[in-house]
Amino acid sequence: MDRVDGTDHYEGDVQGPGPSLLVIVLDTNPHAWTLLHPTLPLSKAIANILVFINAHLASHNANQVAVVASHCHRAVWLYPRPQAANSVDVEMKDASHPSLNDANKYRPFALIEDSLLTSLRELVATTTEPDISTTNTSQMAGALTLALAYINKVNVAYLDENTSPSKESTTSVDTTTNVTGLQSRILVISVSGDLAHQYIPIMNTTFAAQRLRIPIDILKLAGDTVFLQQASDTTKGIYMQLSNPQGLLQYLMMAFLPDNTSRKSLVAPTQEVVDFRAACFCHRRVVDVGFVCSICLSIFCTPPEGAVCMTCSTHLTLGDYGAKPAVVPRRKKKKRKLNGGVDTPSPQGTPVPGK
Amino acid sequence: MASAVSNLASFEYLEKLPGITFRKLYLEPSTALAIFRRMLPHLAKAFVMALLYMDKPFLLTDLDQWVQSNAKRQRDEALSTLSRLHIVTISAPSRQEPQVVSLTDAFRVSLRLALTGGGNHQSFGVPSSDAKSAGIELEFLDEYGRTQWEGILHYVVSTGRSGAQPTAAVQQLLEAGNLVSRGRRSTEITQAGFSFLLQEVNAQVWTLLLLWLHHAKELGMDHVEILSFFFMLGSLELGKAYSIKTLKPTQKSMLENLVDFGLVYIPPSVKDQFFPTRLATTLTSDASALRSITAGFESALSTGSGTAGFIIIETNYRLYAYTDSPLQIAVLALFTKLTTRYPNMVTGRVTRESVYRAVSSGISSDQIITYLSTHAHPELLKASAAKGGGPVLPPTVVDQIRLWQIENERMKTTYGFLFKDFESTDEYKKLLKYADEIGVLTWASKTEEKFFVSKVEQLKDYMKSLKAK
Amino acid sequence: MSRIRSLVRPRGINRHSDTVHHIMSSSDEDYVADDSDDDRNAQTATGTHGTRSTGPVRDATNGRGVRGGDGKEKGKKQAAWEKINRSWDIVIEGADGSINSAVDGLIRQNKRKRLLRDTTPLQRGIIRHLILIIDLSFAMVEKDLRPTRYILTLRTATEFVTEYFEQNPISQLGIIGMRDGIAIRISDISGNPTEHIERLRALGDQQGQGNPSLQNALEMSRAALFHAPSHGTREVLIIYGALLSSDPGDIHDTIESLITDRIRVSIVGLAAQVAICAELCEKTNAGDKNNYHVALDEEHFKALVMATTTPPVTQTKQQSQSSLLQMGFPSRTLGVGKTMSFCACHSKLSRGGYLCSRCDSKVCSLPAECPACGLTLILSTHLARSYHHLFPLKNWVEVPWSAASVSKECYSCLAPFPPMSSAPSQSSNKAKTSRENGEKDKLDSENIAANDSERYACEVCNNHFCIDCDVFAHTISHNCPGCQSDTRGLIENDSVDRNRGHGTIVADVEMAG
Repeated sequence: MDRVDGTDHYEGDVQGPGPSLLVIVLDTNPHAWTLLHPTLPLSKAIANILVFINAHLASHNANQVAVVASHCHRAVWLYPRPQAANSVDVEMKDASHPSLNDANKYRPFALIEDSLLTSLRELVATTTEPDISTTNTSQMAGALTLALAYINKVNVAYLDENTSPSKESTTSVDTTTNVTGLQSRILVISVSGDLAHQYIPIMNTTFAAQRLRIPIDILKLAGDTVFLQQASDTTKGIYMQLSNPQGLLQYLMMAFLPDNTSRKSLVAPTQEVVDFRAACFCHRRVVDVGFVCSICLSIFCTPPEGAVCMTCSTHLTLGDYGAKPAVVPRRKKKKRKLNGGVDTPSPQGTPVPGK
Repeated sequence: MASAVSNLASFEYLEKLPGITFRKLYLEPSTALAIFRRMLPHLAKAFVMALLYMDKPFLLTDLDQWVQSNAKRQRDEALSTLSRLHIVTISAPSRQEPQVVSLTDAFRVSLRLALTGGGNHQSFGVPSSDAKSAGIELEFLDEYGRTQWEGILHYVVSTGRSGAQPTAAVQQLLEAGNLVSRGRRSTEITQAGFSFLLQEVNAQVWTLLLLWLHHAKELGMDHVEILSFFFMLGSLELGKAYSIKTLKPTQKSMLENLVDFGLVYIPPSVKDQFFPTRLATTLTSDASALRSITAGFESALSTGSGTAGFIIIETNYRLYAYTDSPLQIAVLALFTKLTTRYPNMVTGRVTRESVYRAVSSGISSDQIITYLSTHAHPELLKASAAKGGGPVLPPTVVDQIRLWQIENERMKTTYGFLFKDFESTDEYKKLLKYADEIGVLTWASKTEEKFFVSKVEQLKDYMKSLKAK
Repeated sequence: MSRIRSLVRPRGINRHSDTVHHIMSSSDEDYVADDSDDDRNAQTATGTHGTRSTGPVRDATNGRGVRGGDGKEKGKKQAAWEKINRSWDIVIEGADGSINSAVDGLIRQNKRKRLLRDTTPLQRGIIRHLILIIDLSFAMVEKDLRPTRYILTLRTATEFVTEYFEQNPISQLGIIGMRDGIAIRISDISGNPTEHIERLRALGDQQGQGNPSLQNALEMSRAALFHAPSHGTREVLIIYGALLSSDPGDIHDTIESLITDRIRVSIVGLAAQVAICAELCEKTNAGDKNNYHVALDEEHFKALVMATTTPPVTQTKQQSQSSLLQMGFPSRTLGVGKTMSFCACHSKLSRGGYLCSRCDSKVCSLPAECPACGLTLILSTHLARSYHHLFPLKNWVEVPWSAASVSKECYSCLAPFPPMSSAPSQSSNKAKTSRENGEKDKLDSENIAANDSERYACEVCNNHFCIDCDVFAHTISHNCPGCQSDTRGLIENDSVDRNRGHGTIVADVEMAG
C-alpha cells in the first residue's frame, strides 16, 4: 500500500515510452512472390503492410518508419526515397498525386503510401530478365546492412537533438548509452529460402544488431532460412512462420506492432526449435556437423583438399576422425551434386532415452 | 503508463462525457485517431491494434494469456481506461458465456478508416485549392502563434506589456475560467491561474480550449462538433493552407476565437483559407513527443517564453535559469527565492519558505516538480540519460519539495466511495486487491475492513461477477 | 631474497622518444576535438609531463643516476620531448572568424583516425588463451589517473573482459594480481565473463599495497597456460603501474622459459617506460616492439588495453599447431508441452536443451562435448562472431571535391552531403595548405582538403558514404552497405567472393622478424 501514504519516492519521469523507429525489410523476390500469388498476391501484402505502417505511425506522434526492399541482386530504399530518384517528380508532386490532397486521409499516411508505391513501381520496372533468371534468393544481407546503417544514423541524430550537441560523445562507437534513445527495431518480411551464400554478411549484421540492441523480427511467408532464425534469436526478436499467409494483417497487428516497451509486458511468440546450423565455406551447404579450422574457424563440410584451409591456407593436421575417409578429391562440381542430399542427416535420429 | 503529464485536463474532461457523446465523437476518423494516439496508455494501444482487425470478439482469458503475469497492473489499467473512453466493451460476466473483449463499432470503423483512408468524412481537413498567399512561411506562423499566446500569458501574470493585450473575448474567458480576477484597477492572478502558468504550453492550450468549450455550450453550440474540430486541427500539417468553405457552420464561427488564441491564422488577403500554427498542429502530440519535435516547436516558443529546457537545479537546491523572459522569471519567482539576475540568466534557491509560499497560494509540489522537469536544461536530461534514464531532477530536491508540501498539508481530500460491511473477509480481500490492481484505491483499513476508492463502475461489475460465481 | 629492479628510462632520451612523441601529438588533437577549450588543453598537456616525471620511484632512480637531468639538456638544444605539437597552432579560423568549421573537420578526422587501421588480412589466432595480470601494488594508489590508478585499472579491466569475450567468444581468460611481492590468483582460466567481472568487482574494496613481482606473476601465468591446447594462442597482458619489480630470482630465466612456452607478453604501463618490460615484450613477441605502451591519460589507457582484444597476428607457422576439428552445431529446442527429460551432461531434469547433431543426446548448455559420442558441440553463432576478422572490410577513401558531384546523399543512410556549391575555391585551398606546411606531411594536408566534401568511398563498389556510416560499417557491422546491396555486377561469380563482394582468399602473411 505504498502508493497511498504519499511518501513514495517520486521520480520526475516525464518521458514515458519514447518514440520508436521501425525499419521494414521487404523481400521482393519475384520467384517467391509468383509462387505465393494464389494465396497472397504481392499487391495485397503491400496493402496490408501499409495499414501496418500506418498503425505504427498512429501509435506515437514521433514514430518513424523506413522501408528497404530486398530484391534479387539488389537492396533498394523504398521509403525514404533516395534523392536521386526523387528530384524528377518533385515539382509535379502535388498535382499528379491527387491522393495527397485527400481530406479523407491523414496526410503523413498518404505521403508514405505514395512514395512507397512509386519506388516499388520503379523497382519492378528496372528489374531485368537476367537479374531474375540468375538467382532465386534476394539480397537480404545488403538490405539488413542498409537498415542498420540507417538506424544508426537516425539514432545519432536523435541523440544529438535530444541531448546537448556540444559533446562528441554520441558517436556510434559507444552504443551503451542508447538505452533511452530512439527505440528501433527491424521487421523482415521474408519469402525467399536459402541464404547460404550470404552467411557471413548476414551473421555480421546480426551481431551488429545485437550490439546496438535492435531486435530483428522475422515474418516468414514462405521458404525457410536457418540464418534469419538465428538472427531473430540472437537479437531477441520474434520469429514467425505463417501457416496461412492470408491472415498477414492480423499477425502483423498482434505480434509485430507492439514496440520494445510493450513487449516487456506481453508474451511474445517464441520459436519452438531454433536451428543453429551453419553454412560451410566450401560449398555453401548448410551443415549440422562440420570441420572447423582451428586458426580461422572456417567451417567445411568435408576436410578440404590436401588438408589446407581454404581461407587461411594453413596446413591442418587432421584429427583422428577415422570414420571420414572422404578426402579422395573428386571433381568439385560433380561432388556437390552427388552429396547434395546427404548434408542433413535426418532429424529423427536415435531416440533419446527418457522420451 | 499514463504519466503525470499526459494525464491532461482534457483527458479528465473526456472521461466524464456520456457514452452517447463518445459515439458521436468517434464518427470522425481524425478524432478516433487523435484519442487513440493521445489518451491511451502504451499497452492499451497494443490491445486496440490487436483487436482492430479481429473479426470475432477476443476472449478475455486469451487476453490474459497474452499479457505477462508481471504486467497485470498495466493490463488492468489499460482495460479500465479503454472502457472508460468507450473504446472497448467487455461483455458482462455470466455463467453461460465466457467474457469477451471487442472494440465499439463506431471506434472500430473510424480507426480503420483513419488507417486505410477512404470514406467521405473529410475529417483530416480540406486543403485549400486557391493559390497560397505569399509570405506565409513557417517562421511567420511560429512567430504569430507565439506572440498571440504570450500575450495571453502576460495578461494572466499581469506583467501585461502595453500593446500585447489579448482581445476582450479572451479576457472575458480568462475571467470566466477563474484564472484571473478583476480587481478595482487591474486584474489579479488566482490560484487556478498559477497552476495554469506552471503547465507546459500544450496543456495550457488545452485548458483554455476546454474553458472555452464550457463557455460555448452556454451559447448553445454543439460541443461534439467543437471537440472534433480540435482533433482535426491536431491532424493538420503545419504550413499548409486549408479551406474554410468546407467547414461546418459551428466550426466556422469557432475560427475567430482560435485566431485570438493564436492557433490558426487567416491571411487578410484571402479570406477563405486558414493556416494552423504549431500550437494547433501539436494539440494531439503527447508530452514526450513534444520534446522530440524540437526543430520547430522550440524555435516557436523558446525565444521568449522558453519551452526549451533552461533550468538547472542542483542537489543543494540552487537553481540557475537561463532566461531573460520576464514571464519565465515571474513564474520562477512563484516558488523560488531569486537572488541574482544576469543579462541572460537568473539564479536562486528553492527554499522551505519559498515552497511554503507557493503551496499556500495554491500551487502543488507536483506542479513545481513537473514544471522543473519539463523545463530542465538539456544538460540535466543528458546526465539522467547517461545514468540509464533515471529521474531528470536530483531525487533529493524532488523529495524535499514534496515533503515541504506535506508538512503543511496533512490532509488531502478525494471524492469517491467508501466500501464497508462486507459479507466476509475473503470478499473484502478480493475486492481490495482488485481495486488496487485497477488503480482506483485511495485508502484502506485492514482491521476495520473498509476501503475507499475514487471510481466505482468497474468495481461494481467485478462485484457482480463475484456474486455470479 | 628479493632484489629491487629499477631500471627506469625517462622518456624521450633514446629511441623510444619517437613513438612516445608520436602518440603525444595525436592525443593533443583529440583534445581539440573533445572540446575546443584552450585552457584545458594547456593544462592537460603540461599535466601529462608533470605527472610522468614524478613517479613513486624517483628517489631510487636518482640514486642510480641513470636518469638524465632535465635542466642540463634544456640548455643545449631542444630535446625530443620538448617539440610539442601545440594543438592551437593547427586550428584555422573560418571565414566568419569562428573555429567551428575547423573543429568539425578535426572531429571528422578523429573519427576517421580511429578507423584507419591495417586491413591486410593477416593470419590471426582466434582461439586465444590470455592471462590478464593486474598490478595491485603500492604504485596503484597514485592519483595521476583519475580517480586513482587502482580504480581506473579495475574499471578498464572489467570493460576489457566484456569486450574480449565479445570479440573472441570461444577464447579463455584468466586474471592474476601482483601485490605484496607475490602473485595472487584472481580468477581461473575460464570462458565465463560474468565470473571474471564479479571477481574484479570484489577487488574494488581493497587497495593497492606492497611491491609487485613480475617474475612471480609470469611464472604463475606460465603454469596456468601450460595446459592450453596447441592450436590456440597463449598470451599475457600486464597492466603495470610500478617502475620496479621485486623478484625472487633472475627474470631473464623466466623470459627464456616464456619464449620456449610460446607465451607472448604485452604490457600497458601507467607510469614510465621500464627497460625490463620493453625487453620482456620484445623477446616474447619475436622482436616486435609494438607490444609495450605507456598510457598518457585515461582515454589513451583504455584505448591501449582495448587494442589487445583484437586477436593477435600469428607469427610463424610453427608457433601454433593447427588442426581441423570436427564440430557439431546442434539445434535448440524449448520442449514446450513435452515431458521433461534428463540432460546427458548433468543428469538434471529439464524441458529444453540442445540435441547433439550426431547422436541426439541432450545437453543443457554450449559449448560442450557430447557426453555420448564425444563430438564437440558449439553454437555456430559463437564461431560466426569472429568471421569479420577473417574478411576485414577495406578502409574507405576520402572523396575529393573533383569527384564528389556524382552523389548527393549517403548511399546507406540517405543523409544529404554538402552540395557542390559549398566546394572551396582554389585560393582558400591554397591558404590552408600553406598554413599547414610545417611538419604536416603531404597526405595530411590532402586529408583536410578532401574532408570538406564529407564523402567517403568504398573502392570496390564506388558508392559514397557519410562519416557516421563509415564508422558504423567498419566498427560495428563489418559489411559494406554498397557492396552488399548490389551484386548485379557479380552475377557470374561464385565462391567466397559472394560473401564479401571483394573478399579474397586470405594469404598467409608471415610477420617479418
